[in-house]
Amino acid sequence: MKPLLLLLPLVLSAAGPQQLRFAIQGDPRTFDVLMAAESNSETVRYLTAGVLVRVNRTTDVVQPELAESFLVKEAGRAITFKLRPGLQFSDGAPLTAADVERTLRRALDPQSGSPTGDTLRAGDAVPAITVAGPREITLRYKAPKPNIDRLFDSVGITPATQAKLPTSSGAFFVAEYQPGSFVLLRRNPHYFKRDPQGVQLPYLDSIRLDIQQNRDIELTRFERGELHLINKIDADGYANLSRSGTRHATSLGSSLDSEFLWFNQAPAKTLPDWKHTWFTSATFRHAISAAIRREDMARIVFKGHAHPAVGPISPANRFWVNASLKPLPTDAKASLSELTKEGFTLREGILRDKAGHPVEFSLITQAGNRPRERMASLVADDLKAIGVKVNVVTLDFGSMLDRIAKSLDYEAALLGFANVEADPSEEMNVWLSSGAQHAWWPAQKTPGTPWEARIDQLELNQAAEATRAARKKLVDEFQKIVRDQEPIIYLLNPDYLVAVAPSLKGVVPTVVPPQILWNAEWLRLE
Amino acid sequence: MAGGPRPMTRLAVTLLCLVVVLGLAAPWLAPHPYAQQIREFTTTAPQPGFPMGLDDLGRDRLSRLLYATRVSVLLAPAAATISILVALLLSALAATPSRTLRWSLSLGNSIFLSLPWIFLFIILRAKLPLNTDPVVSVTLTFALMGVAGWAVPSRAFTASILGMKDAGWLLQARAAGLKPWRIATSHAWPHLWALALAQFRILIPAYVLSEASLGLLGLGVADPMPSWGNLLQDLQHPDVVQANPWTLAPLGLLVFVMICLEVLAPSRKVAL
Amino acid sequence: MSRPVLQYRISARYGATEVLHEVAAALAPAQIVSLVGLSGSGKSTLALALLRLLRYRGGQVTGSIRLEGRELTTLAESEMRAIRGHRIGYVPQSPGLSLNPRLRVQTLLHETWRAHAAGPANHQALLESVQLPADAVFLRKRADELSTGQGQRLLIALALMHSPALLIADEPTSALDAITQASILDLFAKINRERGTAILFISHDLLSVAGISHRVDILHEGHLVESGPPVAVFRTPQHPFTRRLVAAMPRLVLPD
Repeated sequence: MKPLLLLLPLVLSAAGPQQLRFAIQGDPRTFDVLMAAESNSETVRYLTAGVLVRVNRTTDVVQPELAESFLVKEAGRAITFKLRPGLQFSDGAPLTAADVERTLRRALDPQSGSPTGDTLRAGDAVPAITVAGPREITLRYKAPKPNIDRLFDSVGITPATQAKLPTSSGAFFVAEYQPGSFVLLRRNPHYFKRDPQGVQLPYLDSIRLDIQQNRDIELTRFERGELHLINKIDADGYANLSRSGTRHATSLGSSLDSEFLWFNQAPAKTLPDWKHTWFTSATFRHAISAAIRREDMARIVFKGHAHPAVGPISPANRFWVNASLKPLPTDAKASLSELTKEGFTLREGILRDKAGHPVEFSLITQAGNRPRERMASLVADDLKAIGVKVNVVTLDFGSMLDRIAKSLDYEAALLGFANVEADPSEEMNVWLSSGAQHAWWPAQKTPGTPWEARIDQLELNQAAEATRAARKKLVDEFQKIVRDQEPIIYLLNPDYLVAVAPSLKGVVPTVVPPQILWNAEWLRLE
Repeated sequence: MAGGPRPMTRLAVTLLCLVVVLGLAAPWLAPHPYAQQIREFTTTAPQPGFPMGLDDLGRDRLSRLLYATRVSVLLAPAAATISILVALLLSALAATPSRTLRWSLSLGNSIFLSLPWIFLFIILRAKLPLNTDPVVSVTLTFALMGVAGWAVPSRAFTASILGMKDAGWLLQARAAGLKPWRIATSHAWPHLWALALAQFRILIPAYVLSEASLGLLGLGVADPMPSWGNLLQDLQHPDVVQANPWTLAPLGLLVFVMICLEVLAPSRKVAL
Repeated sequence: MSRPVLQYRISARYGATEVLHEVAAALAPAQIVSLVGLSGSGKSTLALALLRLLRYRGGQVTGSIRLEGRELTTLAESEMRAIRGHRIGYVPQSPGLSLNPRLRVQTLLHETWRAHAAGPANHQALLESVQLPADAVFLRKRADELSTGQGQRLLIALALMHSPALLIADEPTSALDAITQASILDLFAKINRERGTAILFISHDLLSVAGISHRVDILHEGHLVESGPPVAVFRTPQHPFTRRLVAAMPRLVLPD
């Protein structure tokens, strides 16, 4: 038995010098690119689905892909794609506008339950689809559809028949799948794209996605050279890699993610009136925000791989971030003097409000999430300096969600968002006062204050605007309001950390998903 | 055993007392407040003023260990005592002639042993106000642990009591005309007492470790209050241990206490 | 002949299996009666039945047991408790099993005393009568630190403490070596002589008990098959089982 086992790695590595290997955290639920709904399926979709256009992850420009050109018309109501000539699926069958139409209709069929269909619909309305010859197709909406071109970055064109391992229109196709073990992708021999020298892409012969839930094992395998990349590692893993001397870990700078805390502003029964008064006071929130030493947090919790956040949009999101927003002040003294104007007094190390209530609140966060537990500890210690007592309570995620979304029995919470898209509309349900995830007061009937009403207005209007420039103006104002009111107190934007083996070439790093893999057809191994 | 305590026993008792005293005297012995963050020195090796170094939030490890000892050496035995008392009370049912009662006992026992009673702690956490004083919440957690943990010692007590029913000495005591109550208190109790001591020694480390795993779910001793359990969580991070071997100190102390308790174990086997 | 100390006629069963069938006999005051049978003949069942302790072993008894003229089968458990250890002493077999190993000698003495008496007690005379030391070191010993012989003497002392009219001894010598066995038998004879205690001596060994008995009852498969003075039983055994029993004995000790 032993010689056989020894042979096994040899056999596997003999699969070709151009086999890229990395780990995904679980089995993909589906290989149907229109049905991908969780991150593992989405990774496979990205690598196997041919799309009409692709958003360049570094320049944020929409580039033609299967379509050699596209045209947005009628003030953003319609879009026309012109396909490249001679497109083929991975099995050699021709890919025509009829295939695109069939794909779109399948996605839009309410029976299919396709997440792609949800992005294509406008409310309940379905766009009209017209095909003009084998290479031209037009979609037409009744009202302007925001991001009408960008939508198609995630719409994979599928063949007429859906096999278990479907043929593909992208750079790779699914060749083999061993549940619980691996997914093997091979290069699509009929892929249209060529490099400037005329060499057909992709460079890689195959990609092996090992299904590996344990991140520690993933790290070890990377160190041993069995994996070529880790698309996201945490600060501890990064530190370990750096220490072990392999030094393949790279920081891509601030990610789109953010860590933050907020106060419960809903009139919850469990919340005493005076606390409700504090939490709804912008002065109070600013004081708390200013007393938090974000630099310490970045250094201690994230080992330096995080930056103090400025607002709801990460600076990594270069187009959408409001660059005029200055870093949040960190001046506990100034914040105290603001508080005294509202009747708060600091005596014998205890901050009291007008009525003499000592300022004390509980801060809930996610148990087992070490960075968040640590951040909460630091917040508690920082606030001690202005006489505020914070009781950190760590809860299992289920209980925490129940409190912040349903029972509203909490005072303050510390959490984070992991953003997968740069578009600000992604966080709509957090910012709309009626949104189910409206952090400080979920599913509010009507916005409580003029600034909340204005946020609602800005959110809805930006989504309806046709041009990015017009949207940006509204999104900038939204960021300014959030900054002025701090209903959510932003703490940090953790850096995006990846690990890439030196043998992997052609990497164009970006923090926008799927990060390292975004230009997979250009990657090669040396 | 007849000729007074053995030297090893005396040593073990002395050392255990020392650990308890260290814990109780933590407020006077600890060089720093346990929650004080000295942020310039996070994850730091031993240095003057900080003989065990500082943890990842810049807190003095020695002070935290002393306070943790206080929490763990007071509360884990208390919880073990609760378990044993509850177990003894319920196991007494095994001595009754009622078949139904004995059956209920055995059923309750099996249920408690098989139930993932972590949900009890989730309910406790859900019911406790978020601003509950950490001392209160820790005490309640250990008390609940004690009550929920009755089934393990009860299994031993029940087996012992059922074994006694066939014992020759029970027949002798009955034939001598002793009343049931006297038989229970003077004849059966010494057996149960020896068993209780043995169970006590098993339960203490079990509770220290349970508290640690509850901590992972946010149900144990909450930060910043230290306990052996939450200090042991550092061991999950090999790089932290590598950077400062004193991270192992709580584990060392736990093992040390275990050894002392082992030495104190009754030398003969517990007769059923 | 005066009123018998014990007079019984009982049947006993475990569930559906009857193990004693209408066994009837009587003991006169100061009489030593040996009940001899093979293992499984029901001897120990009889002993427990007479003490009305058989239910703790899962058995049921029917019939009549009269102790000093008083019917025991109709007594309440609490009344029965007042008789056990007080009017009937019980010496079980195997001190290793029958003495609570975790208790000290003084505790055993104290508890047995308290069962039927109040106030202080001096057990020195009692211990001396069974040839046990009465010093503090011995009293502080735990039961499992005693030798088998000492344990057996202690069991006898406990049974005698309240001067019962009847002593039931269930194989009290079977766990002992030959010499200790002899001295324990002597002790029973002495007790009988000095205190006038009636003794029901249960044994599988006809030969060893013959010397001290006034009468021998032979129990076979739950039936009392023969009863008479030892000499008569040895010389002219009537029942086939008794004949086999006698025939199996070594010859040389036959009394004349």
